Amino acid sequence: MPWMNRVVADKVKLEFKDVDVEFTKHTTNLHVRQERLIDLLLYLRDKAGYKLFIDHTCIDFPEKKERFQAVYILHNPESNERVIVKTWAKDGKLPSLERLWPCAKWAEREAYDMFGVLYDGHENLRRMFMWEGYPYFPLRKDFPMEGIPEVELPSLTEIYAGRKEPPSHDYEFMHTRVPTLEDLERTEKSRLQKKAQLVLNWGPLHPGTHGTIWFLFDLDGERVVQSDVILGQLHRGMEKIAENVYYFQFLPYTDRMDYISAICNELSYVTAVEKLLQVEVPEKARYIRTMFAELQRINSHLLWLGTGALDLGALTVFLYAFREREKIMDIIEGNAGFRLTTAFLRIGGLHYDLAEGTLDVVKAFLKDFPAKLREYHSLLTRNRIWLRRTKDIGVITREDVFNYGLTGPVARGSGVPYDIRKLEPYAAYDEVDFDIPVGEVGDVYDRYLVRMEEMVQSLRIIEQCVSKLEKLPKSAPYVNKEHPAVMAPKEDVFMDLEDMVKNFRIVVHGESAPPGEVYVSGENPRGELGFYIYSVGGSKPYRLRIRSGALYNLSIFPKLIQDGTIADAIALLGSLDPVVGETDR
Amino acid sequence: MEIWLSLMITLIKILVVLGVFLGVGAYLTWFERKLAGHIQARMGPKLVGPFGLLQPLADGIKLLTKESVIPQNADKPVYYLAVVMAVAPALLLFSVIPFGPGFTLFGYEIKPIVADVNIALLLVFAFGSLAVYGTIFSGWASNSKYAFIGSLRKAAVIISYEVVLGFSVLGVILLAGTMSTTGIVQAQIEKGVWFIVYQPVAFVLYLFCMLAESGRVPFDVQEAEAELVTGYNVEYGGMRFGVFPLAEWYLNVMALSAIAVVLFLGGWSGPHIFGPLSPYIWFLVKMFGLVFFVLWLHWTLPRFQARDITEIGWKIMLPISIVNVVVTAVVAYIL
Repeated sequence: MPWMNRVVADKVKLEFKDVDVEFTKHTTNLHVRQERLIDLLLYLRDKAGYKLFIDHTCIDFPEKKERFQAVYILHNPESNERVIVKTWAKDGKLPSLERLWPCAKWAEREAYDMFGVLYDGHENLRRMFMWEGYPYFPLRKDFPMEGIPEVELPSLTEIYAGRKEPPSHDYEFMHTRVPTLEDLERTEKSRLQKKAQLVLNWGPLHPGTHGTIWFLFDLDGERVVQSDVILGQLHRGMEKIAENVYYFQFLPYTDRMDYISAICNELSYVTAVEKLLQVEVPEKARYIRTMFAELQRINSHLLWLGTGALDLGALTVFLYAFREREKIMDIIEGNAGFRLTTAFLRIGGLHYDLAEGTLDVVKAFLKDFPAKLREYHSLLTRNRIWLRRTKDIGVITREDVFNYGLTGPVARGSGVPYDIRKLEPYAAYDEVDFDIPVGEVGDVYDRYLVRMEEMVQSLRIIEQCVSKLEKLPKSAPYVNKEHPAVMAPKEDVFMDLEDMVKNFRIVVHGESAPPGEVYVSGENPRGELGFYIYSVGGSKPYRLRIRSGALYNLSIFPKLIQDGTIADAIALLGSLDPVVGETDR
Repeated sequence: MEIWLSLMITLIKILVVLGVFLGVGAYLTWFERKLAGHIQARMGPKLVGPFGLLQPLADGIKLLTKESVIPQNADKPVYYLAVVMAVAPALLLFSVIPFGPGFTLFGYEIKPIVADVNIALLLVFAFGSLAVYGTIFSGWASNSKYAFIGSLRKAAVIISYEVVLGFSVLGVILLAGTMSTTGIVQAQIEKGVWFIVYQPVAFVLYLFCMLAESGRVPFDVQEAEAELVTGYNVEYGGMRFGVFPLAEWYLNVMALSAIAVVLFLGGWSGPHIFGPLSPYIWFLVKMFGLVFFVLWLHWTLPRFQARDITEIGWKIMLPISIVNVVVTAVVAYIL
């Protein structure tokens, strides 16, 4: 995706004299004083067309006076250009963008939670992931990765048998803080002031939420008067971990974000790192990546279909969807060795070459799957009950797509053809043919149809990849091992001294990345998964921000469900399809 | 002497009906799981006994040996009463079902029905309405929001469908001229035609009401696993939990199917091809045909919303059923 071009930048410069325009290798950055931030963003949104809010985060520079640098990423859907706006926090404070983009509320809460930056004008500046009363700000550079051990947590053995000297097994007595029941109660109270008859909790563990989200519904009968979401039960501090490991070491962690579409996550991540390190990827690897990403997309959509239908009471579709899902799992397992969290991709290529017979299996799947899709359609698409439950429920307008930073099938369901695979092709997406299905109304039913059609399009892509891969010679390289930052395949490492030495160096010292910044995103089944990497050189990123599509898609949920029933809530949540591993990271 | 004897006979009938239908109800769980398995492209229970036939037994033992957990602040008397209120009406429904024609044994005239009363259909409605108390009580006494919402949904559904049920049956009563279940079957046999021919609309309405009353898909709003966990019985454990689905999903479905057979499908009438047992076999075949239909729907369709169900009940089905009754009355009067 191109970044803001010089013409627009000059216009901005004309309007705002004190804005510094910086053209870095991979981005266009606008540096603005904090007082002018809102004006600049307003101008960008209304005059320059940068309507879609992509992300907001902060970077901590402890040695600088202002310390926190705020980063805003915006996208212009007409000219298909992105821009980064940067400003410094003043006395640890930033203005809130709540009135410009409602979804900024959540991003700001996250920045407050992680950095302790305060936002002027924010309606309810609460912790996003941590609980109320947690005293630290974990993404600050002075917070150690392993946390601050300060609470004594006895093991169950110790509770039953008493503490022995030496201890019964080898572990630290002191642990980082964990929330107590009082903490959780305080968190719950701070989120929602009861207005109506009864507050219904969904979660932290609830069959309808498909993960550990905590929904609060203030109900008047079955009507939802207000609602809120408490996230963070699955928060593992991915971004903090990323700052402390080498680039290649972070790859398996990305699997564990949106664990239903692990390969798509990996693909977004390695694309970002490859751009930063300037690694060329061999053709074969690009096609294999594309094929597996699309298989994974079908896999993920099948899970969505099965659980979404299960939520609405159609019990059988669930097992039908899992039957096909199992076949994809087998293909992935046969190649990567793992079913769910695959770690199949590598920076510069793939971990393994395509396993023997894979293409035959994929071809058999391609032949078999359209009939199964028809089966799903015949069970649901024209079913009157299904229509009644999904039509005109949770309608998202085109404006809301931009205001809430919605991406993926949720945006396309509302008629916004926002698909990174077309806008900024990565892997082999620019060499294959496919269409972007879009909806008209933007209700649950449209999102359902969009996802169903996406599976068909994925099949098309896979078909093209298969025919391309069949033509490529078997000996074609699947990893670009010439690049100094790319690890050679295991066979070469064992047989070749040079490769072994290089591998050794990378494993011990990491890849040395040039300083710079890069924002690259991939089209995940759940929306745009972006990686903003800020590197100051060295083998670890200074800051790695993960833009989660699922989180932004979920941010519209409280608005949509207002005045709906809780039965609508389950249909709506299924259509937004968040995965908690990615929303919480 | 006469009184003692008739009491004895009634007692034996009660025991037979209870034994048969509680046993069949338990085995219906096996049947449903097997059926669901095959609908969903899997095997269903197959490890306990041949074809998994001992599965209900294993389930029963498991449920009986489970620790009983009663939520704090639960209203204990009502909590227990709910279990009784769930099973009793479902079982009582069987008392007015005639399974076959009367026969003579040792010089006594015996009718295979527990209570051959002339207000049998009124009793059916009464028991049907009573069943909702099991749900309401369990929802209220559990002191849980999920259970509470689930039970209120059920109440809303029952209220709307009780009315439709009454009107849909009215046509049959007009045609038969009696409210006695045996009388209705006799009327069909005498006329030589099943009432489903005269009352197809009423039959469809009755099927809908049957699904709603027994809380089966697409009307299982009170359970709705996804949003309400399992709704009204979420706080029950062990056999107390097991009783609710047994009563609602199996006994109720069987009893209401049996009544549908009596009302619309000619009761025990059918060709005598099975010898002296053929009326009973015909009755059971028709009844389980309907039960199978209900199970089949359960594993195929999604579920309605509570709002939609009441809307359909009041706005669509009630007017249709009233028109049906009026037309039937006018036609019956003219002919």
